[in-house]
Order: sequence, then structure tokens, then C-alpha cells
Amino acid sequence: MSAATPEFIPTAVRARLRDLRLVARRPSASPGFGAHHSRSRGAGLEFSQYRSYQQGDDPCQIDWKLHARSDRYFVREAERDSPLEAWLLVDGTASMAQGDAARPDWSRLDAAKGIAACVIELALRQGDRFGIVTITGAGVDVVAAAAGARQRNRCLLHLHRLQAAGGWPGAAGLHAVGDRVGPGTLVVMLGDCFDDAFVELAERLAAARREVLTVQILTAEERDFPFRGGHRFEDPETGESVLGDGATARADFLERFGAARRALAARLAGKGIRHVEFTLDQPLDAPLRRLFGPASARLGPEST
Amino acid sequence: MSLGLLVPAGLAALFALLLPLLLHLARRTEQRPTVFAAMRWLQARPRPRRRVRLEERLLLALRLLLLAALALLLAQPVMSGAPGGKAWVVVAPGIDRTDAQAALAAPDAEWRWLAPGLPRFDRDPPAAAQPVSSLLRELDAELRDDAALTVLVPARLGGLDGERPLLHRMVDWRVIETKPASTPTRPPMQGALAVRHARADDPALRYLRAAGAAWAADGAGARAGPMRLDIAPVSAAIPPDTRWLIWLAPGALPADTLTWIEAGGSALLGPQAKMEDPAAGTILWRNTRGDALVRGRAFGNGHVMQLMRELAPASLPEVLDPSFPDRLRALLDPPLLPDGAFAAAHAPLPGGPALSPVPRPLHPWLALLVALLFLGERWLATSPRRERPS
Repeated sequence: MSAATPEFIPTAVRARLRDLRLVARRPSASPGFGAHHSRSRGAGLEFSQYRSYQQGDDPCQIDWKLHARSDRYFVREAERDSPLEAWLLVDGTASMAQGDAARPDWSRLDAAKGIAACVIELALRQGDRFGIVTITGAGVDVVAAAAGARQRNRCLLHLHRLQAAGGWPGAAGLHAVGDRVGPGTLVVMLGDCFDDAFVELAERLAAARREVLTVQILTAEERDFPFRGGHRFEDPETGESVLGDGATARADFLERFGAARRALAARLAGKGIRHVEFTLDQPLDAPLRRLFGPASARLGPEST
Repeated sequence: MSLGLLVPAGLAALFALLLPLLLHLARRTEQRPTVFAAMRWLQARPRPRRRVRLEERLLLALRLLLLAALALLLAQPVMSGAPGGKAWVVVAPGIDRTDAQAALAAPDAEWRWLAPGLPRFDRDPPAAAQPVSSLLRELDAELRDDAALTVLVPARLGGLDGERPLLHRMVDWRVIETKPASTPTRPPMQGALAVRHARADDPALRYLRAAGAAWAADGAGARAGPMRLDIAPVSAAIPPDTRWLIWLAPGALPADTLTWIEAGGSALLGPQAKMEDPAAGTILWRNTRGDALVRGRAFGNGHVMQLMRELAPASLPEVLDPSFPDRLRALLDPPLLPDGAFAAAHAPLPGGPALSPVPRPLHPWLALLVALLFLGERWLATSPRRERPS
């Protein structure tokens, strides 16, 4: 797919990205000026709070008018806007190569690349730093976080080369992810969330003060199960196969799969991870709109 | 009306019905490999059902129908019996339409003219002379047994044959009084009669000329003109429009004359003419004492007669008789047998043979059905909906 369509983002989707902004719910810890709330206090434009003077504060920060009223030393603090650091974590295991029979050249991985490219566009527009972690059977590849158009090209090239293969790597390889993705960053995880290790990684990152958003990419066949007649269902990662009759297996599968998805959403919500589902027949900006759109501020962690 | 098969062995082709059944079953056992990452939530328990299941039943039904129709086509089905068992009214030509409808009030019946093909009654009346007896027998054989038949005939009925028709069913025989047509008289003799003689002073020529003059007087008012008498020596060729030939020369007939007779001519040979196998043939004319005067037989498509005596008063006094031209004409141009009768005395008799009706073949319709089924099958089998993976 990548060779045929080097452009990851369709034109219509690119047009709709205009009113989206990457927003972190937690204040950003990255140094520097940016468009995001910061945990660093100090001199700045936006008033944040008064706090009592402590030894070591710059005396020029003391609010002398308040001192005149209250006879105590208060330091006026402002909130600094600091840039966000966005990380894209793309699942590149073999299950991501699956697509729908109705649109065989549009796989989960293609959708993940498209969503990642959208996030990169948003981050680039806001001047944020961004990086990519891809996890394939061969291991973990990282494009270190940076800002700017060259970084965008670097990331897109990396995505372009990404091929889905293999199974989920062991825990040793995943330690690198935690090392490279610093605390206080926004991590958008794109994958099918079928591997427990993927969910555990999300939980671990969330527990270590990263703001984690998961986008579960499903095929329309997994949502609707439109199969009829005899099929031999093969797991692309383990190679196991199950014989099944489409019509008879449908109700049972939809029930069990729906329960599993609800359980996953509840589990991630419990860890403070915002979780959205994306089906391959939806437009690429749909999950971003639900995560970062105008209404997303009111939403808690996605439960659907 | 019943259905029959001319070649019941053709139904053996019905074994071909197994073919599409097998085809549609074979697809059943196929297990399409499908990549499915969410297999963890797919239970292995619902295996494909073992009981017989057929896919694409509409297509299968069409194919089965197509093959069954083909097998039936091979078996050559026929439909016997005429459609419908309602009453029939046939009207012999010669009856006025209003007279017929006044005589019988049967608006629901099937009204037909008694003519070949049984044209509908509202068509133009066919020609008056029809082979009535033959048509009645044909109609009796073709009609259903329970169909009532009413025949309207004029008082004088022509086109009959030797006996009263024996029909299988009881016929309502209605005689309609019509104006009696004038008694038909025999039309005058027309055509060319060639006389070939060896001697110009042959005494027979005199009597033949007299007979020719008599015929010409009969046909003086005829439209097509009287007959022509062409008297010439034997060396003269026979004109192509000649109907009759009188050959007075002795000896064997030349080959071209024999060819002319064989091609359909009618010849009266003199007593000295030589013809092969003279004893053959029936005696066509005897005198009052019973002596044979003329005998004749068929020759090729034509007819050969031979005078047993010289055509002269000494040997054949009948030439002096006033009826000689008529006798001669009867030899050359034999009158038709009478074919008319009073209809009241000629009602068909019951007790005729119950003929099995001529069956009508059904294969044109069946072939049409096969073509339609084939088109439908192709349309369904190649429709884009089938391409959709399921």
C-alpha cells in the first residue's frame, strides 16, 4: 500500500484536521514555550497563583502590593505555556496486516499509519515535539522526539518502511519504550489491542505519568462478522486455525467480542487511559476528533 | 388433453440432475481460509454443520429446472386432444351466414366453417366445393370425445364420397333449406386434340372431324373457347398444349410420342398401331353385343387406349350413331363421379372408429422454456452479487 500511496492522509481528512488540536489533559512537563499548559510555574503571561515566599525565590518576584495589604511576602506565579511532546506508538505485529475482504488493500496497519500521520500533522502545526515507536516482531524501533518539518519527514519515512510482521516482542524489548518515552508526554497508541502485552504496556506507561491514549483499530469484519459458509479462521501471529461456519459462529462471536471490548475499555478507563475504537470503514480523523475534538474536553476516558 | 412422451428413454437424461446438486454440495465442504486476528473470541465449537446443505439455492433450482426441461425435450413430449371441450358448430360452405345464425342460437359454441383448416366463422366464407366427408372425419378425429358437434349443411350437399361418413360421436345434423343451386351441367370439352394419320384420305378422319364439330358446337358459348382439332400427318410434331392424341398410323409409335404419353398425355391408338403388351388393359367400350371396342391402360403418368376395330362404319357402326361424339369424349375426358346428395339422407352414422387424436408436439414451447431458463441461469451465475466474498 505504502508504495502506491505515499500520501498517508487523504485530502478530505487533511481538510478536516484544521480545527483539531492536540491537547494533553495533564499539564505538560516539557521545557520551553508552547501552546500547552505547563507544570512549571514562574514568570509568564497567565496568572497562576500566589504562594508564600520561600528562601531562594527571586526577591523581584515578590508582590509588593499584596505585601502592603497583608504584611506577608507572597510570590506571584504565572503559568508557563510549554510545548507538548507527543509520542506515537504503532503496533506493527502481523495481526495489523489484516484488512477487510471488501477493501483488501486497506489494512489495519495502513489505518494506523494514516492516524499517525494525522497526529504528526497536528503536532507539527502546533510546534510540538513528536516521535515514533514502532513495535514489530523484529523488535522496537524508535524515532527520537524532535520538532519541525524534517522530523515529520523522518517519521513519515519510518512509517513508510514499516511492514507488519511477527508477534509481540518480549518484555525486555519493551523496556526501551519506557526509557525513550519520557514522563509527562502524550502517548497515542495505535493497535488492535488484542495482545495483552499491548494493554499492559499502555497501563505501565500510564502508571508512569505518561498520558496514554489508545486507538483500537478494528476491521469491519470483526465488528459485523459478515461471514457465511465454511471458513478456516487463521490467527496471523500464532498460525492457529479454527474451523467455523460463519452464520452459526456469528452471534456467539459478536457477544464474546463485544464483552471483551467493553472489558478492555473499562480496564483502560480505570487506569485513566482514554480509549477509542476505530473501524476500518470510518474516516481517519474520526478517532482524533473523539480524542481531541471540541467535545472531547467534557468526555472522560472513552468507554465505547 | 393428456401429456405423452414419444421417446421416454430421453428421461434418462434426468440423471444429469445429480451434476448441479454435486456442484452445489462440493462448494459446501470448502473451507475458505480467512485471516482473523480476533480469533481468541471465536469459539472452535461451531464447526460447519455436517448435515447436507446446498448453497445458492435459487441458482441450483434454476439449473435443475434447466436440466429437467432439457431431459423433457429429449423425451419429446406431445399433447394429445384438442384444447377445450366446448361445443363446436361447423357450417358447410354454401350456407348464408345469417341463415346459419338464425337456425342455431349457440353463441358460446366454437363456430367454424367446414373447410380445410377450419377457418373461424367470422372470416370470409370459403369456396362452396369442399370435401365435406373427409373434413367431417378429420374433425371427428381431432375433437375431444366430450365435445358436442353440430353440423349445419345445405339441403344439397356436395363434396361427399362413396358412403355416409361413419363418425365416432353423435352429430347434430342440421339441414338448412337454401335456394337450390342450378343443376350443374358438364362444362364443354376444352383443349387441343391432335389427330395424326398416315393417309390423308383415311376414312376415320371424316368421323373425327364430325365429332370435333359437335364438341365445338357444345362449347360455342364457353369462355375459354371451344376445343381445337389438329389433324396432321404423323410426321408433324405434337404441340405442347395438346391434351389428347388420336394416332391412326400403323406400326410402332415413335419415341417422342411415347415420351409425350408417359409425361401425362392421353392417347387413343388406331387398331394397327403397335404398342407393347397389347393384351393388357381393361375394356373401356363394348358394343351392344358385348364385343370389346376400346381397351386402355395406364402408361407412365399418362393413359393409352387402343381401338380394336377400324374407325369406319363397316367395322364400327357406332361411328354413325349420334352419340358417337359423347362416347368418344367419355373415353378421352372421362366424367367425374357424382359427389352430391341430399343432405337429409346423408347424415353421418355413429359407430365410427375412435381414432386416437393426432398429438401435438410441445418441443417449440419447451425449447423456448429451455432458452429462458438458460438465460436466467447465466444472468444469475454471472451477476456481480456472486462475486461478493461471503
